[in-house]
Amino acid sequence: MKNTLHIAQRDLSGFFLSPIAYVVMFFYLLLAGILFTRIQFDPLRPAELRVFFNYNLWLMIIITPALSMRLMSEELRSGTVEPLMTAPVTDTAVIVGKWLGAMGFFAVMLLPTVTYVFVIMIWANPDPGPIASGYVGTLLAGGVYLAIGLLASVLTRNQVIAFIASVFIILLFTVVPFFVSRELPALAGAMAYINIFRHCEDFAKGLIDASDLLYFLTGIAMFLAFAVKALESRKWR
Amino acid sequence: MIRVERLTKWYGPVLALDRIDLNVERGRIVGFLGPNGAGKTTAIRILTGFLPAGSGRASINGHDVFSDSMAVRSSIGYLPESTPLYPEMRVDEQLHYFGKLHGLSRTQRRKRITELNDACGLTNIIRRPIGQLSKGNRQRVGLAQALVHDPPVLILDEPTVGMDPAQIASVRQFISDLGQKKTVLLSTHILPEAERTCNQVVIITGGKIVADGTPEQLKASVRSRARVRVEVKANPLAVKQALEPVEGVAGVTTTADHGWCTALIDMTQKNDENDALRERLAKTVTEHGWPLRSLGFEGGSLEEFFIEITSRQASAVA
Repeated sequence: MKNTLHIAQRDLSGFFLSPIAYVVMFFYLLLAGILFTRIQFDPLRPAELRVFFNYNLWLMIIITPALSMRLMSEELRSGTVEPLMTAPVTDTAVIVGKWLGAMGFFAVMLLPTVTYVFVIMIWANPDPGPIASGYVGTLLAGGVYLAIGLLASVLTRNQVIAFIASVFIILLFTVVPFFVSRELPALAGAMAYINIFRHCEDFAKGLIDASDLLYFLTGIAMFLAFAVKALESRKWR
Repeated sequence: MIRVERLTKWYGPVLALDRIDLNVERGRIVGFLGPNGAGKTTAIRILTGFLPAGSGRASINGHDVFSDSMAVRSSIGYLPESTPLYPEMRVDEQLHYFGKLHGLSRTQRRKRITELNDACGLTNIIRRPIGQLSKGNRQRVGLAQALVHDPPVLILDEPTVGMDPAQIASVRQFISDLGQKKTVLLSTHILPEAERTCNQVVIITGGKIVADGTPEQLKASVRSRARVRVEVKANPLAVKQALEPVEGVAGVTTTADHGWCTALIDMTQKNDENDALRERLAKTVTEHGWPLRSLGFEGGSLEEFFIEITSRQASAVA
């Protein structure tokens, strides 16, 4: 348990020491800023961040894999996985620690967007509830995205492949269900259930539904469990 | 301290380790020698729990490598082959990180890192980012990292690669000092290194252990193979008949080549009296009036033994 936190701490500080993370953060905040000023911040819209949260999920499809791609791939490529996996740490501690580290950086990256609330507050009186729940939803969706990215990162020592694979898997749980339910209406219910976007809508509305919470937590747990298994299987390949 | 029984490892269809047996007592420095691709790193990775074995048993410090991996990991310090370190971290950060993973408290880590600072010569580089260090300095950091939790067993995969001769000498001294208290298994393909630092040498080639003993024992087995070589211009049969009765000759094998005959003479006595034997052989040759091209003592170094034993294995495999 302690080791999980040590690994999380190292990987979080690893982000701050890597130029890629700053580049990703720069582009994320640039795009999020455009999103906010061009779409959300409009006199005709209610004083809230709902539209921002929805579009933000799209942005995160390419932003979070850029954060998660190096988590394990870099260790596999440089060989640092060897001292790490021969120290008394479990595979689960490595995976959960790395995911927590990435979540930490993701939260830090998200933090400057809180200023948008203050910008709205200059002209209007936004309701803090839906904004808070919107951030919870964004963090949970980011958690699933990062768990998927971490799984992809365990599977290859090549960061570019890890990036592409995680974008692809995330699309399977976000955009692809829209098309599938259009082509095969019989599957519409199932497709709506697996769609990450659908589960975020309630959070953006200000609704924290136990079924949505369960969906995200099982999603995160499932992809992290896959990543642990993938890391274990590396030994048997 | 380290016990290995019939350890076997396949990489797909390739047999990397073939029923390896190894026994290392406490306080020994063991040199694990072999040509590249012999299976040294594979064996080390299995011992450290990084790779599973196909079959066989291995234990370190009384803990089974396969069923009690965490206890094994705590009792070994491991320096992997290419010294992988996090390039973005500073030297002390890297050492603190591994100290934390081994469950050391902050005060324990501080104390230990100060000790290692002097022991591994890190004083000038302790705050430098690892990415900026030279290969030799990285190697010192890797060594310090392996020692950070003060393990009873050290496993070092090619610890002196990339170092200059002065650094090699200091690391060799350092390892010798460590051998006072700890069990050290170090792999190398540099023979003199093993000869000087180790008190047990294990030679592995083609996934098999082909020799295991003290450097003196291995050298003695080389000397027992030493022979005298004589090249004369004569009939091989006549040479054989003439040289066999000479005092001190155990046997003669001859080969003919363009009228010249090369005779390899095994000796009854191993070490001493070689000079006298050579004198007697020279006398015999001159008595027969054969033109003599060379007469010399052959074999004797651990290096030749190593090359012979590893190439023999290679040709047997081919």
